[in-house]
Amino acid sequence: MASHRGGQHVLSDSGPSRHHHISYAVPHTLHLPSNTSFINQEGSAFDFEIEELEEAIALQRVKINNNDEAKQTLYTARPRAATIEMFPSWPLKFHHTPRESLKSGEDSVCSESALNTLASRGDTCTATGHRLQPLLPPETQPQMEMVSSSDKPTTGVTESQLDAKPNPPKRRGAGSSSDKVLDAKTLRRLAQNREAAKKSRLRKKAYVHQLESSRIRLAQLEQDLQRARSQGFIIGGGAAGGNISSGAALFDMEYARWLDDEHRHMSELRTALQAHLSDSDLQIIVDKYIAHYDELFCLKEVAAVSDVIHLITGMWTTPAERCFLWMGGFRPSDLIKMLIAQLDTLTEHQAVGIYSLQQSSQQGEEALSQGLEQLQQSLISTIANGSVNDSMHQMAVALGKLTSLEGFVRQADNLRQQTLHQLRRILTVRQATRCFLVISEYYGRLRALSSLWASRPRENFIADDNSCQTSTVLQTLLSSRNQFSNF
Amino acid sequence: MYSSTRQSKASDSQETVMRLATGSAVVIFSVSTCCMCHAVKRLFCGMGVNPSVHEIDQDPNGKEIERALMTLLGSPSAMPVVFIGGKLVGTMDRVMASHINGTLVPLLKDAGALWL
Repeated sequence: MASHRGGQHVLSDSGPSRHHHISYAVPHTLHLPSNTSFINQEGSAFDFEIEELEEAIALQRVKINNNDEAKQTLYTARPRAATIEMFPSWPLKFHHTPRESLKSGEDSVCSESALNTLASRGDTCTATGHRLQPLLPPETQPQMEMVSSSDKPTTGVTESQLDAKPNPPKRRGAGSSSDKVLDAKTLRRLAQNREAAKKSRLRKKAYVHQLESSRIRLAQLEQDLQRARSQGFIIGGGAAGGNISSGAALFDMEYARWLDDEHRHMSELRTALQAHLSDSDLQIIVDKYIAHYDELFCLKEVAAVSDVIHLITGMWTTPAERCFLWMGGFRPSDLIKMLIAQLDTLTEHQAVGIYSLQQSSQQGEEALSQGLEQLQQSLISTIANGSVNDSMHQMAVALGKLTSLEGFVRQADNLRQQTLHQLRRILTVRQATRCFLVISEYYGRLRALSSLWASRPRENFIADDNSCQTSTVLQTLLSSRNQFSNF
Repeated sequence: MYSSTRQSKASDSQETVMRLATGSAVVIFSVSTCCMCHAVKRLFCGMGVNPSVHEIDQDPNGKEIERALMTLLGSPSAMPVVFIGGKLVGTMDRVMASHINGTLVPLLKDAGALWL
């Protein structure tokens, strides 16, 4: 019966009311199952209620702590408010109390005040006694003034609350008291549902709007990145996590410069072949090309010491190159296989030399791969077998093993360097010029493929060779580049 | 007196090394836990060569041998160290380079480690 009075006040939420400031207060008040009655003669039911009350208070406290500005932004439809509303409401008479204390002039309707009201109610109410007190202190301190100021009306309310039973409903229409209790409850619940739904809709709208704008921004960023990458400003995937080590960043920069040199060398080789220079002139150009690659291996050696994992994962290369990555670079035997198909003017002696080079590079690769395999297995067992006690030691051991990756990348680069040098030894000057031009163009195309791959259309992509955009772009690209027609 | 003991010890270990190195056609000085040593062993086995391996971490004179090898190489030691036909080839670097430039196989054949 006191409950129905609380019910009226709840009803006042959804409509214009003299308790206008209170209508938004509802979200911030605690909610308990509406069928519990706070002031109860029977202790056992009361214990159950207190438990739920304490739980709700604890929950609310979490929400308060996360939502400090709740006080200030009552009049705006804050999305979070909706979640609080979703809890079943307080017993009606309980709603009454916080509102009354607010009525006493508090602008900020916060749960703290509600909690404090609870505390004060706890004080006045014989049944609660001290049960509530332990939970509330942290919040209650700053709000002590509020409590004291609202003490009187609270107490007044408490008293009136206790007498509330026989009072007729102030607000809504007539009818027998029992009917009104039911109606009031239902209507209140409906009103709260409406509120919750409204807030939920607003929240959803805001979220969708945020998503849309983020999506647009992401698309723009991706575009910028592609443009920058195609212009050679950003090398490598630069995937998730922009944390690149200084050694890696330095290497990437040096490698970008090396790529510029590479283009220059490639055009030099091309013009040298077409110009039919003398062997001695070609010799100079070929030697410069080999020195250019030697320079790369030097750079990689330095990078291996500072960040071998950057090298071995190929983050410095383009995506397509990364597909064929072996131990931080190209696979020498693959290069030889590719060249065998392209170089047709070989003497028998040269052919033998090239085939033994293919075989020895393959054997070298195999040996290094097996060594690396053993290193990986060893590293796995080191990481897996660490116990709690000597975990630091195990970490140190693991770190040492990671460091020995350096040795493998260095040996792999050594293999690559030796292969290129041996090619120079086997071939004549003119053949070597062609050979290095082939190599240069091959990797140039691989990089171009990477660019196309990165910028390929990804939505509604019909995988039809004849009609896809990428293939037409590729055709245009290839026709504009020199073929291996020089041979 | 102290230095001469050290010197004699050093020359002793050098002798040991040479003795071991000439003991077989292909001799590898290795560390059992070293993965690069494993790689060089795989390289020779892959070529059909059966090398003789000395794990210096399992040798009581291991430290001495390592020091002697460092002196021979003229650089801070990097296992593995390979001898073919009693002659020093070097570390993995050199072994790979000699294989690629085609000098390793003739060396092996001369030492009788390869027949083809």
